[in-house]
Amino acid sequence: MIRDVNKRGRSRRLKKVRVAVRVPGGGIVYHYRHKRHSQARCARCGRPLNATPTGPRSIMGKLSKSQRRPNRPYGGYLCPECLRELMLARAIEEGMALLASR
Amino acid sequence: MGVIEVGRVCRKIAGREAGRICVVVRVIDDNFVEITGPKDLTGVRRRRVNVKHLVPLPIKLDIPEGASDEEVLNALKETDLYPKLLEEKEKRERRKGKPA
Repeated sequence: MIRDVNKRGRSRRLKKVRVAVRVPGGGIVYHYRHKRHSQARCARCGRPLNATPTGPRSIMGKLSKSQRRPNRPYGGYLCPECLRELMLARAIEEGMALLASR
Repeated sequence: MGVIEVGRVCRKIAGREAGRICVVVRVIDDNFVEITGPKDLTGVRRRRVNVKHLVPLPIKLDIPEGASDEEVLNALKETDLYPKLLEEKEKRERRKGKPA
């Protein structure tokens, strides 16, 4: 007894995951669950970011801005190590320019 | 690139104030120094910080150890970096709408 597949189209296809469930009658029924939100990743090295919770708007909307991402330049976008490397490179370049301009 | 010592102008490369200019006012030990922005110029308050978070620039101010923010500010005014600092500050304030 496989029930007709859903008629809801995109609202199911994009957001739902199908789980096969055995039914007392012996058939299979599909249960639809929300997809889990993926974790925030560093834009440069792909490492998962700390201090960046993820979730549906119902949860994230309640969080204040500082609860959603670290209070640092590029917070929630770059991991601390990548930020340090980029800032270091920029500072060295600035140092060289200052030396050259003397 | 210059060595970390009293009067050394540095860029902070980590933490909340990453990317901002600060000046070393006191060396605590070979890992920690005391820096100041000064706060109303670069948004870096007087605080103890690990040298790993700093990158020295080739500019050194002639200030006594433990100098006050005013002394640091006046010394900074002479350097050719000062106009750039004002520009950075103005940009920050324009973006944040309030003194950053």
